[in-house]
Amino acid sequence: MTFWQFLMADLRAIVTDKAIAITLFGGVLFYSVLYPLPYLNQVPTEQMLVVIDHDGSSLSRRLIRHADASPKITVTGQVSSIDMAQNWIESGRANGLLVIPHGFRKDLMLGRGATLSYGGDANYFLIYSAVVEGLVSVGLDAGKYVQLVGLLAHGENAKAAERSLNAVKLNSVPAFNPSLGYTPYVVPGVLLLVLHQTLLIGAGILGAGQWQNQGYWRKVSPLMLISGRICVFFLIYSLFTSLYVGHCYYWYGVSVQATLGQVALFLLPFLLSTAVTGIAFSCLFTRRDLPTQVLLLISMPILFVSGFVWPLELIPEPLIWISTIIPAVPTIIGMLQLNQMGASWASIMPQWLHLWGLFALFFMLALYGVNKRLKREPNSEL
Amino acid sequence: MTSLVRRELKALWNDPWQFALVTYIPILGIISLWWLFSAGMPRQLPVAIVDHDQSQLSRMLARRIQANPAADTIGYQDIASAKRAMTQGEVYALVVLPHRLNRDLLTGHSPTIEIRYNSQFLLVGKLLSSQIQLSLGDGLVHVANKKQLALGVPKAQAEINLRPVTSQTTALYNSNSNYIGFLVPPILLALGQLLAMLVFANSLNRELRLNTMSEWFSLGTRRVLYAKMLVYTPLIVLQGRFILAILYQFLNLPLQGDFGLLLVAQVAMLLAVWLLVLVIFFLLQDCARVISFCTALFAPAFPFMGITFPTQDMPVLAQLWRKLMPSSHYIDTHVGVVSYGQGWDTLADQLINYWGFLFLIPVIVFLAKRVKRTHLADQSLSPEGAK
Repeated sequence: MTFWQFLMADLRAIVTDKAIAITLFGGVLFYSVLYPLPYLNQVPTEQMLVVIDHDGSSLSRRLIRHADASPKITVTGQVSSIDMAQNWIESGRANGLLVIPHGFRKDLMLGRGATLSYGGDANYFLIYSAVVEGLVSVGLDAGKYVQLVGLLAHGENAKAAERSLNAVKLNSVPAFNPSLGYTPYVVPGVLLLVLHQTLLIGAGILGAGQWQNQGYWRKVSPLMLISGRICVFFLIYSLFTSLYVGHCYYWYGVSVQATLGQVALFLLPFLLSTAVTGIAFSCLFTRRDLPTQVLLLISMPILFVSGFVWPLELIPEPLIWISTIIPAVPTIIGMLQLNQMGASWASIMPQWLHLWGLFALFFMLALYGVNKRLKREPNSEL
Repeated sequence: MTSLVRRELKALWNDPWQFALVTYIPILGIISLWWLFSAGMPRQLPVAIVDHDQSQLSRMLARRIQANPAADTIGYQDIASAKRAMTQGEVYALVVLPHRLNRDLLTGHSPTIEIRYNSQFLLVGKLLSSQIQLSLGDGLVHVANKKQLALGVPKAQAEINLRPVTSQTTALYNSNSNYIGFLVPPILLALGQLLAMLVFANSLNRELRLNTMSEWFSLGTRRVLYAKMLVYTPLIVLQGRFILAILYQFLNLPLQGDFGLLLVAQVAMLLAVWLLVLVIFFLLQDCARVISFCTALFAPAFPFMGITFPTQDMPVLAQLWRKLMPSSHYIDTHVGVVSYGQGWDTLADQLINYWGFLFLIPVIVFLAKRVKRTHLADQSLSPEGAK
């Protein structure tokens, strides 16, 4: 059997096997829509706020109007006590509460100071931070307004008064993901993980179904089987990767900074090492329904250990050591730096070499595993 | 029935992978995921400081940031090297204290302190942005306070002049914003749902793999199914109870309601999972395909729970898909019981929300009958019972 014949046979085996086709073609397309789906609106806006106004003054009403005008908050109603407000939150009619104390306006005008209380439902951190960010800026504005009125009343001129209120400007700007959107945050990492997992599953099912049977895979040497299969998966996955990194990134508004050549060069060892890891991994199984299960169970840990959800600095060291043998982890870290954060090629060199190292390591393992699997005689009765 | 249950238990005992799925894999998964997040709160995150002023004031501000538990400052001489560190993910934020900061402040100009934060890592970036602003704001108020005192304003009045409106912010139901209480329960729930799905799908697939479908049909389709549910529901609820024990008894996270409600809700969730798996099983009738399809369906359950990104801000299509996931029904009850201390009456309302899953029952009956018919036809074709 020539190399070319083997390639065609392997490609046919992948495309005609329904279980593999569901995962590869169905899974890759389905997930490219489903994973980003909940986040399409990018930022949580108009969180429901319930107000407890014990003051009932012109300033407190002004404050409520300002809160309602904030894009992050919408005021859904007013109640008379904190207990009632808590009831609203627990029945899902509000996400946060604002308490304006009795004598709020009077105290401010007399220069005594007043305290506003905010609360947000911290079961949902994004809701909580939206409520608090919205209210803090409203509270600051109210404070500035009172100060400004005070300064003007003391006879300061308007411009100087403004300046002494904003003595130092703090200009805090998000870098890399300028809209603070959730899709550009989640999509780059998750889509790479989907590519990694589906490739491993595909190679796993293919191998697991073949080891105990007779077929074209027994007519070639292990070295040829491995290199041929790498070529086939590389071919299929360079299409999928182009779809994800090319089209989906663009479609979901992910910021893209690296050049095409750099991205291709970085993803080359990713695809090669993942393909060969898949072949090595498939040697562990003879049941076609097992590879999917193992990979399904480890996909969430891989996502969290790759460091964009939860900072690497806080992950226990042993877990990080274990994660270095998974090709997806250096890929996600390296791609985020290269493509989303605009790092230079020199700074992601360690990840690139790491991937080549994994390729070499798993190539040896695959060679050992395939050799062992093919030496054993096939079960004739199955 | 006892003999059928014994048949299931024997099958469980003879399948090492299935046995692993109900014993040590969940324990391993739960412990490793908890361990990953065990730091609880993001702290000591590296922040780059570029101090172009080198004055008493700028050093004081840098020390203020260092004093914030969320940040750990690293000094850089120039912006270029700080920027490089940021693109490599070595620091998560960058603060530039400009040249002549102190002088501008004293002479009544208003200088600008530039802060850049890494929003590609959204969680860390947003946290650092607000914490750095808080620390700097606090430091600047300190300076302004001194200025007021120098002008002869009484101390108590000076503080009020600077901050007429103070605010008191409360994180309701998770008072110290602990990520373990926020993130770990839904993650473990997603893991638990995957395990439950796999265990049940494997138990069904086993009949296909060992060619015991006809034995199943002769024992009574429904009775075998009941036996499977009778064996696996308590086993999975036991796993759920173990998760709850770790979270709310061992780690002592706050729990308002009682365990009983949560366990009832878990049983309801499991029944919904069983129904979904049954539909797919009778539809596809091939081990690897059933697992692949179930995986595709259940793997993305976590983002749809609405914990990380709020449900009401999802597009309509996502909200509909959310309704299909048993875990998103359960998480509502979970939050209700754990945080709001809801009672049985609210639980009853939430259980009624599962009504959509009842429509799966006639589908399953129809598909099962079809599978049974084809099996009987196959058998009559080859009398010795071919494969």
